[in-house]
Amino acid sequence: MSDFLTIKGITAGYGDGPAILDDAKMTVQEGKVHCIIGPNGAGKSTMMKAIAGMLPLRKGEITFKGENIAGLRPDQMLRRGIAFVPQERALFPKMTVRENLRMGGYILNDDKALSSRIDEIFDRFPILRERADQHAGTMSGGQQQTLAMARTLILRPDVVMFDEPSLGLAPKIVREMFQIVRLIADTGVTVLLVEQNAVMGLRHADWGVVLDLGRTLFEGPSAEVLADPRIQELYLGGQKVA
Amino acid sequence: MEQIIQVAVLGIGLGGVFALMGAGLSLVFGVMRIVNLAHPSLIIGGAYLAYWGFRIYGIDPLIMLPVCALVLAATGVLFYKVFFERDAKSATYSEMTVLLTFAIAMIVEGALGAAFSNTQRVTSPSYATDAFFIGNVFIPKGQLYAGITSIVIIGLLAAFLKFSRLGYAIRATTQNREAAALLGVNVNMVGLMSFAIGIGLAGAAGALTSFVFSFFPAKHWEWVAVLMSLVVMGGMGSILGTVVAAFSLSIVAAFVGTWIGSTWSTMTFFLALFLVLLFRPQGLFGEKPELV
Amino acid sequence: MSDAMQETGAVLEARKAYNETLRIKADQTRATWFPITIMILLIALPLLQFTGNYNYLLHMVLLTASYVALASSWNILGGFAGYISLGHNVFFCIGGYFAGMLVARYGWSGIALAPLAGLVAALFGYVIGLITLRVRGPSFIISSIALVMIARLLFDHWKFVGGANGVTLPPTELSVQWAKLPYYYAMLFIAAFTVWCSYKIKHSKFGLGLRALSKDEIKAEAAGIDTRFYKVTAFALSAFFVGMVGAVWGEYLTYIRPSIFLVILIAAYMVLMCILGGKGTIAGPVIGAILLTAFNEFFVATMGASELNILGTGVIMAVCLMFFPHGIVGSLARKGRLPRILNWD
Ligand SMILES: Nc1ncnc2c1ncn2[C@@H]1O[C@H](COP(=O)(O)OP(=O)(O)OP(=O)(O)O)[C@@H](O)[C@H]1O
Ligand SMILES: [Mg+2]
Repeated sequence: MSDFLTIKGITAGYGDGPAILDDAKMTVQEGKVHCIIGPNGAGKSTMMKAIAGMLPLRKGEITFKGENIAGLRPDQMLRRGIAFVPQERALFPKMTVRENLRMGGYILNDDKALSSRIDEIFDRFPILRERADQHAGTMSGGQQQTLAMARTLILRPDVVMFDEPSLGLAPKIVREMFQIVRLIADTGVTVLLVEQNAVMGLRHADWGVVLDLGRTLFEGPSAEVLADPRIQELYLGGQKVA
Repeated sequence: MEQIIQVAVLGIGLGGVFALMGAGLSLVFGVMRIVNLAHPSLIIGGAYLAYWGFRIYGIDPLIMLPVCALVLAATGVLFYKVFFERDAKSATYSEMTVLLTFAIAMIVEGALGAAFSNTQRVTSPSYATDAFFIGNVFIPKGQLYAGITSIVIIGLLAAFLKFSRLGYAIRATTQNREAAALLGVNVNMVGLMSFAIGIGLAGAAGALTSFVFSFFPAKHWEWVAVLMSLVVMGGMGSILGTVVAAFSLSIVAAFVGTWIGSTWSTMTFFLALFLVLLFRPQGLFGEKPELV
Repeated sequence: MSDAMQETGAVLEARKAYNETLRIKADQTRATWFPITIMILLIALPLLQFTGNYNYLLHMVLLTASYVALASSWNILGGFAGYISLGHNVFFCIGGYFAGMLVARYGWSGIALAPLAGLVAALFGYVIGLITLRVRGPSFIISSIALVMIARLLFDHWKFVGGANGVTLPPTELSVQWAKLPYYYAMLFIAAFTVWCSYKIKHSKFGLGLRALSKDEIKAEAAGIDTRFYKVTAFALSAFFVGMVGAVWGEYLTYIRPSIFLVILIAAYMVLMCILGGKGTIAGPVIGAILLTAFNEFFVATMGASELNILGTGVIMAVCLMFFPHGIVGSLARKGRLPRILNWD
């Protein structure tokens, strides 16, 4: 389709274990918000890790701006403009907010540029400036998640991936998280995110991907995914009960 | 009152040396999750280096200190390459590495013993046996210099960790290895550097030790338990915690030594360890309730 | 496609389970005659004394038997429960001193006192375990080292038990020819008893629980195992056998002294023998003890110096850990090459 970011035929697993992802794929459009949904253990996190280079691919193709980037290390992905915030524990709890942001620009290796970029982040997220010298581990869950997402922006990436940014947050805070996601996308950054709360995630996304048993079952504009009766029954309806 | 000040001063002097010994240990544990039981034996190695430097060439141990640090840092790199770079991912890694460091401690002790015999040694620069008085408070110069040097080195270490790029990487790896790797930190390199710095600090501590304590190859067993107590108390991997534990316990130990008997002063460290295990297993500055 | 995959997966699982039962069945034909024959030979060994002076040989067997017992009991805590103790010689010391003092004061028999000495050691083990088993992994190992240092300080300065010089015990009244026999049989019996018990423990519900908690303590707890009770009991049990050995060993040497019990090398041997032979297996500690005692004797005889001995022990330990972490028995079993006569599990 587009030659921005292509992800297809992804097969991956942990160690010598079974393949957790089996021929998974997703379409990515520049500047849009993509939401991956699916039940627990479907392989959503595994998919993110595989794309981010944290997990070796057994098979599959990932091309970015025409370059084959499958099998690169996480830092090489980062240098090419793809940043990742893993599920939970993405921060350095005993470093201050400012230090965490500095770590976000670790590969820049340029103090001046880094400081000015941190200032930009502070302008966009005033709450972080307020807390600049507080240890990250002592902030509220929502603030921590904001910091984790903001930290990826230091490198001015083209693609950011967030694994369950809403995990463990109160509904009101979850809405704030999605507003932040939207803000990020509005600056032209492509967002890939995983969401447990499928309805909520799809409502805030442009594109929906349904993953189960390590395979891509369905993908399409999120409104279509939301409206599809089979998906409603299997993945959206059951969710309110659970 | 004077006696109290007197004892406290002695305690602080020793506390500095123990803090320096413990800091390197804590650093290595933080980054690598390795409890390095060989650390004290390497301190003794550093002490021998300073001792022979003084005996043969008449070099002051304080001047030998950087040499000891560098030689031991190189040893640290060697040990990392030989013993620890391999399968850091296996499940029983941390248990196996403890036993491995135990074996290394025996190797170092045996090698030092074979080379230098089990005679007690002490480096004796003029200040080692000298002292001065402030009022009636008696201050041995050897301990004072060792204490001050330790505090300076720990200060430098703290500044390095706080401000340098490598320092950031070390702290980040300690707190969250996976996230550090994701942000482009070469965690293997950081592991190697932490070994070099940690063991280098052991070398520096050895140079100071050489004129503060008398030593012999098997002496390290006495320190293993003391230093490990400091690290557990400080909250495995928290350098600040280790330093705080070193100073406070050394002062308490100095009082115990004066008022109850010098043989019992080391008991302070062990009892403190058991009290911590009983009431705060995660250590003073630790967060995780259990270390698996 | 996915369904088909799952089916193949299920088939594979079933095949694995089936193979496993086959393997266990094969194991049931295990060669029990082998250890029994060895025991009979060892029991008959002192008959040699009628033909000449074989005291050195008897001493070596006795020494080996004591290490077999020490290593096998360490294995209960370290191998089954996964708690590595570098301070188990403390219980060796407690057993030795308890019996030794009664021998010295009242002229009782150390051998007869051994079970009681074991109980005393177990009691200490239980209480100490309540404290130190609150932490796992590195912290536990450290606490065990601290334990040795504490014991050493206490015994070195405890006037009642003779401080660092210890206490001399009355020598046996038997003639040189037969003097070693009571200790020889006592140690042989303790060693066999310890190995047998460790076998029984491993195959009991208790042993299963220990192995579960060594893999994942939280999951074991969730599965309804009272992990705290289990591991503290394992600690006490393992201290029990060590204490018995201590009681006999002290009387055999005719003196008790902190420097014979509370040296790090003894603790190191217990660990090393288990690792060398195969931690968590039954035959492993036995094989490790035999090999290491022989090696040590050879080393001391040829090189003498104890520094080199420490160096050599360290090198063997490092090599074992790096290249055969499962030990001789464990590695062979993994490859399916373990000779039947060595499969005691
Ligand atoms: N580090 C790991 N090692 C081995 N298996 C793993 C690992 N992480 C996840 N798995 C397995 O991979 C499968 C998919 O896990 P994954 O974390 O990708 O699911 P998920 O869709 O993100 O679920 P959740 O909604 O719970 O986060 C699960 O069966 C899990 O047990
Ligand atoms: Mg997940």
